[in-house]
Amino acid sequence: MVINGVDIDDTFAEAFNMRGTRILITAQNLRWAYNAANAMTGFATSVIGCGVEAGIERELTENETPDGRPGLSVLMFAMGSKVLMQQLETRMGQCILTCPTAAAFAGIESEDMISLGKHLRFFGDGHQVSKQIPDANGKLKRYWRIPVMDGEFLTEETTGMVRAIGGGNFLVLGASQAQVLTACEAAIDAMRQLPNVIMPFPGGVVRSGSKVGSKYPKMFASTNDAFCPTLKGVVKSELDPRVESVMEIVVNGLTFEDIAVSMKAGIEAACGLGKDNGILRISAGNYGGKLGQHHFKLRPILSGEVK
Amino acid sequence: MSHITFTAKPVTRHIDCRLLLPTLLSGKSMAEISAMRLAADLTVADVFEVSVEADEAHTITFLNTTSAHQYIGFAMTAGQIIVAGDAGDYLGAQLQNGVLICKGNVGARAGDRMRRGMLLIEGNVGEYCGSDMMAGTLGVLGTTGAYLGYGMKRGTLLLAHAPTAQATWIDCGLHKLPFLNILYKSFKRLDTRFAQINSQRVQRLAGDMGGLGKAEMLIIQP
Repeated sequence: MVINGVDIDDTFAEAFNMRGTRILITAQNLRWAYNAANAMTGFATSVIGCGVEAGIERELTENETPDGRPGLSVLMFAMGSKVLMQQLETRMGQCILTCPTAAAFAGIESEDMISLGKHLRFFGDGHQVSKQIPDANGKLKRYWRIPVMDGEFLTEETTGMVRAIGGGNFLVLGASQAQVLTACEAAIDAMRQLPNVIMPFPGGVVRSGSKVGSKYPKMFASTNDAFCPTLKGVVKSELDPRVESVMEIVVNGLTFEDIAVSMKAGIEAACGLGKDNGILRISAGNYGGKLGQHHFKLRPILSGEVK
Repeated sequence: MSHITFTAKPVTRHIDCRLLLPTLLSGKSMAEISAMRLAADLTVADVFEVSVEADEAHTITFLNTTSAHQYIGFAMTAGQIIVAGDAGDYLGAQLQNGVLICKGNVGARAGDRMRRGMLLIEGNVGEYCGSDMMAGTLGVLGTTGAYLGYGMKRGTLLLAHAPTAQATWIDCGLHKLPFLNILYKSFKRLDTRFAQINSQRVQRLAGDMGGLGKAEMLIIQP
């Protein structure tokens, strides 16, 4: 398969079952909503070292938020419910509670509800106030008002936790680092227009893809040498002589379809630059198909067979 | 589920309306409701015209009521009651949940020992409004009588007019409270003048310091 002169490998991305949640963060204005959301989703690129993978899903208008202020939607993913709950509470306490004017609300409904402000309320030292207020559907929701130095911190008691998928990905292979980065930027711009997904790495792009295992016994992952351009000829490389740079885009989403749609949009945007601009191949990262529960096959996704 | 309307007939005695709750009347026919006894010598049909319509929610509307109609919404647990006229003492007393709206004036002890839910009064209230209230939201657009929030433990009194100062209620100053946005949004779905409130600026009073002292009065500022 070739798109705009770019070869699409006959391979697949291998992804895993995760637990996910969505939080709506509002503030006096978008600047402070971003300050809160950036803090909350900071150091959340990979579950390997960060516990969770998180990112800003999109901006919310004043009509979309519970308190009528500007806000942001944040998605957070972890390998298990326990870690997700721990990380959410920690990040709520250190990043949202601390941020001037910020408030947090549930962004997803589920049978599994996890603590958002349920335990954080004790920061109020007995002065916290509970309010149960019906939402637009008449369903009662519990909020906590916690006295803080800028006024009151408002948070909903719980948010929903759902089954999700993490680790959808594709690799962009090109003739130069600058050209590959430009293609990845175009891909991320396209993918950020879509709901229910985040790309958790810096700017949405990873340059240090990894393989399982290492020559060092204590390391359980190490550099993906088969895709490192400077190791062509040294290791069993996946790269031909033209390739000087490879970057990866990892995408987590609420459903298989969400990830497939975003991968298609991202790959098509990257391929939009074409062979003439140094974009040579699109590939994907997998572990031979034995570890992950979900396989995102590039060619069927791009041909529209998988939606 | 149904929408039940009670149109009050003229009365010369106090009427105890505590049995006329959305959940207690759910599934009952007009005849069954009309035959219910409000007192040993009094049936619903003696003092109300009753009509029942199928509806998506548990709703009761009282028409033509006066201060003689007491205990409306007493210990209500769900649904919605709208009192189009006045109401007597103990309106919404021991309210457990649901929404109770009164468009007229109310007697004493409105919201007494209320635990949860919303009691919205568009008119004036008598003395001891919100007495011993444990939680929930009680709003008053009119004037309030003596001993407002007496012994109130938790919960919110949302007031359009400043009440008479009381020694056991402490002024916490003027504030812009973000949760009011959410509260006002919930009012927008209701048939009440409370839906027109939009000022987030309030004077906050904490009390009743004679007891637990974790309740609040929020006096809406222009």
